[in-house]
Formats: sequence, C-alpha cells, structure tokens
Amino acid sequence: MRWRRAGINALMLVVLLPVYLFLHGISWEQRAEVRRSSPPGYTMPAPFSRVLAMGYQGLLSDYEFLRAITFYGDRSVKQERMSAADWDFFTYSLEVVTDLDPYFLDPYVLGEGLLTWDAQRFEEANALLTKGMAYRDWDWQLPYYVGFNHFYFLKDYASGSEYLMQAAEMPGSPAFLKTLAARLAYYGGKSQTALLFLQQMLAQSNSDTLKQRMQKRLLVLERAVQIEKALQRYRNEHDTDPVALQMLVEEGYLQKLPPDPYGGEWGILRNGRVYSTSKFVDPKPAQSK
Amino acid sequence: MLKRVGALALVTCKEGIRDRSLFGILLFALFVLGLNVAVAGFFMRDLGKVTVDMNLAALSFAGLLLVFFIGINLMAKDIDKKTIHLVLSKPFSRGEYIYGKYLGLVLLVVCTLALLLVFSTATVAGVHAMYPAYFGGFTWGVYFWAVAFIALQLALLCAIVVFFSAITTSSFITLIFSVASYLVGVSIEEVLFYLKSQAAAGEVVASETLRTVLEVVAWLVPNFAAFDLKTEAAHGLVLEPARLFTSAAYGAGYILILLWLATLIFRRREFN
Amino acid sequence: MAEIVIESLYKKYKPGLFKKPVQAVAGLSLTVPAGTVYGLVGPNGAGKSTTIRMLLNLIRPDRGSVCIDAQAVGDGGFLHQVGYLPENPYLYDHLSLRELLRFAGQACGMSTQQIEERIETLTRQTGIAHALKRRLRTFSKGMRQRAGLCFALLHDPQLVILDEPMSGLDPLGRKMVCELILDLKQQGKTVFFCSHILSDTERLCDRIAILDQGKLVREFEADDLRAFRDKERSLEDEFVAAVGGGN
Repeated sequence: MRWRRAGINALMLVVLLPVYLFLHGISWEQRAEVRRSSPPGYTMPAPFSRVLAMGYQGLLSDYEFLRAITFYGDRSVKQERMSAADWDFFTYSLEVVTDLDPYFLDPYVLGEGLLTWDAQRFEEANALLTKGMAYRDWDWQLPYYVGFNHFYFLKDYASGSEYLMQAAEMPGSPAFLKTLAARLAYYGGKSQTALLFLQQMLAQSNSDTLKQRMQKRLLVLERAVQIEKALQRYRNEHDTDPVALQMLVEEGYLQKLPPDPYGGEWGILRNGRVYSTSKFVDPKPAQSK
Repeated sequence: MLKRVGALALVTCKEGIRDRSLFGILLFALFVLGLNVAVAGFFMRDLGKVTVDMNLAALSFAGLLLVFFIGINLMAKDIDKKTIHLVLSKPFSRGEYIYGKYLGLVLLVVCTLALLLVFSTATVAGVHAMYPAYFGGFTWGVYFWAVAFIALQLALLCAIVVFFSAITTSSFITLIFSVASYLVGVSIEEVLFYLKSQAAAGEVVASETLRTVLEVVAWLVPNFAAFDLKTEAAHGLVLEPARLFTSAAYGAGYILILLWLATLIFRRREFN
Repeated sequence: MAEIVIESLYKKYKPGLFKKPVQAVAGLSLTVPAGTVYGLVGPNGAGKSTTIRMLLNLIRPDRGSVCIDAQAVGDGGFLHQVGYLPENPYLYDHLSLRELLRFAGQACGMSTQQIEERIETLTRQTGIAHALKRRLRTFSKGMRQRAGLCFALLHDPQLVILDEPMSGLDPLGRKMVCELILDLKQQGKTVFFCSHILSDTERLCDRIAILDQGKLVREFEADDLRAFRDKERSLEDEFVAAVGGGN
C-alpha cells in the first residue's frame, strides 16, 4: 500500500509538474501574441464608471489614468505609431479620468504633453484643459498650457496672451508669466518663449518617459534658438535674410550648424522663422507590420 | 442602564477583536498601504492625491470587510449558538441588547480604524517625505476629517447590519441585504443626478416610473455619498463646517431611526 | 424569596414554514413555593425547555400567565432576581472566564468589589478557579457547564432556574452540583430545574412534576418524596407508568 502511494506521488512529481510548467509557458506566449495585435483599448463611458466605482471614484480615476499612460508607453516602447483610433481612445480615456476626478492634475499634464505635440489635436487638448480650469481654479498651470497652445500651435496670439494673463494672476505663478504674456502680445510666436515653457515643464516632471521626450524637444529648440539668434544678428547687419543657413556659418555668426536631434535639415520659413524638415517629431519607423 | 449597555458593548468588542479573521483584514489593509508607496512612483504630478486615494480606500474597504463579516458574525452567532439566551437571562431589556451590541460593533470598528490610521499616517508621511514637491494641496486636517467620516459611514453600516439581524434569522440574508443596502446607498446619488442631467439635456434615458422608484429608494436608503470626503482629502479642498455638521447629523439621525426600528422588532421576537 | 406561579399556560409554535404547528405546552399549571427545590422531569419534547423559556420571557405564551413573586413576567427588570443556566450553554468563545463573569456582574449592576468577591467564591466552589485567565474556547464540556453555573449564580439571585444542570458532568461534578443546590436551598433560595437523572431529582427536590406532551401528568410532594427516598416506591416506575402508557 505504501509503495503504491509513493508511486502515485512520484508520478505526480515527474509527469504532472513538467506538463504544467510547459503549458504555463505556452499560455503566456499565446497571451503575448494576443496582446501584440490588440486593438485600441476600451474605456467605459464616464457615467457608468462613476456609478460602478461605488464611492471609489478617485481610486478608479488613478487606475484608468495608469491604463492610459501605459497604453501610450506600450506603443512608444514598441515604436509603433499611434493610429487615429488609438488617439481617440487615449483622448476619451483622459475624458473619463477627469470625469471621475476633475481635480486630478496628471491627466491634464499628460494631455497637454501628448495631444498637442504628438497628436496635433489642439482643440481637444484645450477642451480638456478648460474643463480642468473650472475645478482647479487655484492652479495657474492649466490656463498657462491653454495660452501656450493658442500662441504656439494655433497662432492665436490674442487669446494666448489672455490666458497667460489669467494664469499670471493666480497664486504661485512664476514671475516670468507677466512679462511673457506681454511679450507674446508684442512678438508673436518665437522659439525662445517655447523654450522657457519647456524648461518649466521639464523641471516639474516626475515621469521618466515624458522627461526623455521633452529633453529632446528642449534640445532642438535650444538649437533653433541658437540659430535664430545668429539669424537676427545677420539681419541686423545685412538688413536681409541669408540665402541659406550655411551662410551663417561661413560668415562667422555660428561656429557650426548644430544637428537636429530629430534628424531633419534646418531651413528658414518665409516669415523668417527657423524650422526643420523633421518638424521636431521622431521619423516614422520602417513599415514592419 | 448605561453600565449594562457598556458591559455588553465591551464584551462584543472583545469577541470581535479576538476573532482571527481580523488579523487577515489588517494584513490586507497593510498590504494596500505598502502597495501605495510603490504605486505612487508611477504617477507624474499628483502623487499626494494618489496616496490619499489608496490610503482611504484601504481604510474604508477594511472597514467594510470588518462590518460585513465579523460584524454580522457577532450578531448572528449570539442567536445561532443561543448565547443570547444567556445574555437575555440577565436584566437586559431588548432595547438595551440592541444598543449594547451596536455600540460593541462601533467600538470594534473605531479601534480597528484607529490602528490602521496609525499605519496610514506613517505611509502618507513617508510618501510625503519622498516626494515633497508633489503633495501640493494636501492637508492633514482634511485627511483626518475624511477618516472620521469613513468611521461614520461604517457606523451607519453597523446600524444597517444590526437592523437586518434583528429582522431575519439567517446570517446570510443579513449579509445579502446589508451589502445590497450599501451598494444602493453608495450609488444612488450618482444615478439620480445622472438621470436629472440627462433629463435637463432633453435626453430621456429612463422612464418616469423608474425615476420615481429611484427617488423613493433615495428616501429609504442613506446617501453614503454625503459622508464621502475622499476627493476633498485627495486635493486638500476646503471643507465647510455647515456641510460637515449637516452630514454628521443626517448620519446620526438615520442610525437612531434604524436602532429604534430594530428595537421595536426585536421586542416581538421569540427565542427558541 | 421568590415563588413561581404558572397558570393555564399554552404555547403553540411552528417548527417550519410548511410544517404543522406543534402544541408544546398545553394547559400547564404549577406552583413553586418560595424556598423550595422543584424538579421537572419528562420525556424529550415534553415541553420542559419551552416552559423555562416562558419563565424567562424569551418566548411569550399564547394563553395563561407566568408570575414570579406575584408579578407577571415582563421586560428585563425581574431578572435581577433570576439566575439561569441553559442546557449546553454556549459562551462567548474568545473571552476569558474572568471577563465573562465580570460581564455577568456588570449586567446586574454589581460593584467591582462585589464582582471580584463573588468570582472568587463561586469559582472555588465549582472548582474552576484555576482557569480564570483561560479563554472559554479551551474549556471542556464539564468546565463549560461549571462556568455557566458561575455565570448564573454570580449575582446571588433568589430564584435559580437550571435546565439539565448535570449534563456533561462527571460523578464528581454531579456531586458538586447537588451540594450547590442543597446549599442554595439552605440559603432560602428557590431552585427550579429539569433533569433526566431521576436519582438526583429524587434526592434534591421538595416537589417533582412529570411533564408529558405539554401537560402536567403527575406531581409528587413531601410524602411521595419520602417514600422515594425510603425506597418504598420508585420514581422511575412511576415515571414510566405516567408517560410510557401514552406511547
């Protein structure tokens, strides 16, 4: 009797265990496959989320936010482009997160960081931020972002200046906001103001992924500013724009043309601003799937 | 009379505290508190809010488990195992019994919450120390008020448990009804306001009868959202004393009504 | 001094939703004079426990009256003078013996000093003084029975109601209970108990009643009891005769 029981136990150990481990490995591989070709995510509409949260709306908003940011991070790490549907999901996610907790700062910051530069969905970003302003009425950052969007992306300098003034009135706003708002009204979009904006965002940010992206943007803008400054000096002395930026190097205004970290080539726009063929965005990866 | 009620409360509380399940609940809560420290790093700015969210969730959920499992057990065991015969053989009126058991449950909840609050305070202070820049609006005052109102919510839940225990003989039925009352109480405000906003926007989501039924339900079931200060605590929003007072009075009123009804029903019960 | 007067007691109850109602007590009348030991015997299901519960206001009679000291049994107050030990007492598991007894004392409004003195006396008398600090979960059946006795007697009640007090006790324990009951009688207390152990009932009681199917079928008083003790008659025979015939 004892031998039989020992025999059965040995059988379990030698056969069942390895079989399970094998199946375990296969199962996880299958799941990885499924997730690779996963469609853009789904978020439950806000009213249902609110009810189902059963009093834990704040916690659910944290969870949904993590889902949104890991969704984007996932695409980013795999170097996959965000499709229009992806962005729709992402935007809607942030809508739901802010419906669950409209005071939550992170979705507004993330929305500003990604919906503008990456998705080019300026109106939606502004809509999100304006919603937040109604609740976070002590927070200067939100009208600041809206103002920036208006002047930098939408070229609406009047509105931009208005929002920045609003931000400047709020407690805790940085000293430079008042002068920035004033200068905006005067200069219109120049790279230098964008530089200051990014420097501030970078200093405040806690997330590594976002930090890297902003460092890059900061770098390209610093270099654009560098070139613009040289360009300005050239204009002051020659009363006209150079034919090509290379002339700035040749005539000694620049030591060398700093490379574009996004891999594009510098040029001058008709209105005299410096731009790059890369448009300050990462190039499309080679089409794989 | 007060001494008797107090003696029963003390005995009930002791029974509850020495229940081994409590240990499991505490472990779970501590686990969430620890998780909170790890999870905070995933967020960008509003770390204070996330920390508060998780802490308050841990405290309130531990309280729920405590009331639904240990609380109901404390009420049902007396009748199942006929310990109530022993208790009622002493000069307890039925009303004193109800109030004594209720206060015992509340005492149990308060003690557990107090213990968890110590750990929670340590966690929040710890995360605060790790990321001081990201604790923008957080104030300890609002945080403690939120915990106090969680305790009030749980006290209300205890009253619901005592009430249903007085009515039914099965602890399972008590559990089902108490959980149902809680779920309805927590979501009724959300549902009603959603329906109202939809109606205002001209969209008809639900029929008139449904809306009326829900409004009746809203009268019967306590609105747990009135005791929910989690958002205020997460962002350090201002609390108006008038609102706090009204909510507390509302809760206390409901508790007293429930206990009074429970006493009425309990007086008519027979114990075989 | 406490006397019990039960008159024309009726109680019907439904064992289940769709089951037929059972007449547990059917027209029971008996008197327990103050200072006596009254024994209630009968087959299982005779209605003994039901009667006791009506004495304690745990259940209410359909008809008839239960009076203790000429006052109808009502809500709570009369219990100051009553001590009750149920059959198979289930006590609060996680408490220690001392905590349980303290609870008993506080429930009756005794002062701390009184409580501690009574705990001392009673636990020594019942032989569980060594287990005061132990949790009730760890008690054996016999110890639980003794703990229940202490619980019932802590406030020194005038009327003591015991439901099967000997159940679960070894011979030493039974001896202890017998001595306790006689001691109570000497103090002038009234003792009302029901038991299946006829020999002990014979020895202790001043009156014995046989209950069958909710009715009082025989009652034995002083002369009868003397006859039982002198072995002229046998309670067992009379019991079987009174009850067995009905089956």
